[in-house]
Amino acid sequence: MNEAISRLMDGDAGDPELERLCRECDGGAEAMRTWVAYHVIGDAMRGSGTLAPGFSHRFEARFAGEPTMLAPRARIAHRANAVWAIAATVAAVAVVGWTAVSLTDAPTTAIARARQASDVHASALRPQSVPEDYLLAHQEYSPATAMQGVGPYLRAVSVPLADSPR
Amino acid sequence: MEPAIADAQRAMPPRRASSSAAGAARVSHRPSLRRRLHGLVIVPSVAVLCGAASLAHAEDVAQWLARAAAAARAQNYVGTIVYQHGGRVETSRLAHIFANGEEEDRLVSLDGPAREVIRSAGEVRCYYPDARVVRIEPRTIRNVFPSLSAEQQSALAEYYDFRKAETARVAGYDAQAWVFEPKDGMRYGHKFWSEAGTGLLLKARLLGEHGEVVEQFAFMDITIGGNVDPSLVKPTWSSTPPDWTVREGSAGEKNASDTGWVVKSLPPGFVKIREGFRRLRGRPDPVAHLVFSDGLVAVSVFVQPLTTAPAQVGFSQQGGVNVYSLRLDDNLVTALGEVPGTTVRQIASSVARR
Repeated sequence: MNEAISRLMDGDAGDPELERLCRECDGGAEAMRTWVAYHVIGDAMRGSGTLAPGFSHRFEARFAGEPTMLAPRARIAHRANAVWAIAATVAAVAVVGWTAVSLTDAPTTAIARARQASDVHASALRPQSVPEDYLLAHQEYSPATAMQGVGPYLRAVSVPLADSPR
Repeated sequence: MEPAIADAQRAMPPRRASSSAAGAARVSHRPSLRRRLHGLVIVPSVAVLCGAASLAHAEDVAQWLARAAAAARAQNYVGTIVYQHGGRVETSRLAHIFANGEEEDRLVSLDGPAREVIRSAGEVRCYYPDARVVRIEPRTIRNVFPSLSAEQQSALAEYYDFRKAETARVAGYDAQAWVFEPKDGMRYGHKFWSEAGTGLLLKARLLGEHGEVVEQFAFMDITIGGNVDPSLVKPTWSSTPPDWTVREGSAGEKNASDTGWVVKSLPPGFVKIREGFRRLRGRPDPVAHLVFSDGLVAVSVFVQPLTTAPAQVGFSQQGGVNVYSLRLDDNLVTALGEVPGTTVRQIASSVARR
């Protein structure tokens, strides 16, 4: 399961795995502790610094007041590094793992990150199979094109060109 | 991608009767971690954002659309347009000329892979210089709005609240914002900023169920009116270089009234505006193409015979356009349009032989 959590942090977890991890984090303190610990370890290794006490609660309060702007970033391919990342993480657990649990006051930050990770993953899955010739044929009939001119054709050319005709 | 996964992502609960309810008011039937996360986020809906604005008369809607369309067609303009979708930002130069009753356009991407779109009287050409490919699609209609039926005009007022919103400045021009707020979960919300003098749209935004921005087109700078240098709408390549691949579609409008396919469960407000066959590049058999519109957006349905190549089924998405494909006997059915994923799925799933 620790490897699955590591994959989730890297945005490499599949959807069934994501669902399972969310259930586990929801139901068991062990999975959530691991998730939090890995993030604290990651922060420590990147030198991101330690959060002030009570950060999670303040973050939760501010997060609740924010409108949602769904702007997932493009997925970065780093599967090849996953094995090394896991190895590094496991090694680092021995060094700083014990501090993780004592430093964090609540898992809310982790929850927010889990949600972001799932959004990123969902958007990364979709654009691969958009049929660009259908998009181009459709665009002419869309009232949006009539109102906005040629601009919406950007949708059709934004899709990567298929290598060969299907 | 496995369709079951995509299905699960898109199987969103239907929009509640009151679209002004904030996310916090959602009733949680199955308390899970993800559900509670949603509960944490207070999301102002389109209704809340625009609640203070005045509601325009229903008959104004068609007039407003016609004015925007007329400006987009009959004005000359040159500018820089930014297209934002799914966390990506793409910037392009756009030039539009209206002369002798015909429109000519050119779009040139300024970042990412080089792409160029030339729209002229009879066709649309897309140049991909990196791949050495040019795609050519015929244009069979020039303007959707003159053909907007009375039925569609009344559908607009029935399925959207059309509101005048705030005034703002966009790309250096004074603009008036307008909002189309959907009354059901079958369509997106729309917000448009139109230039005060001409009515030309300077910014267009697609809004999701919770008021989130799904997609946005916006001019960063624009010059409206005056003479535009005709060379600005001419392609970089005056003739297609010999080593380029030409992928050409054709309208093939034979038997334009009956393709043999129908959509049994059309979302309310959508009516068929076109039916016919199209030849898409690389496909030997003509593809049936049906177009449905609620007056503001369109959904295309394509039905093509399945070849031996494996067909991708399930959801995909390009900015505000959602796509859903499924197999129906020996055919591939695809519905796509500027509507939520659940809507294209409903349409694709109800395609049947006449």
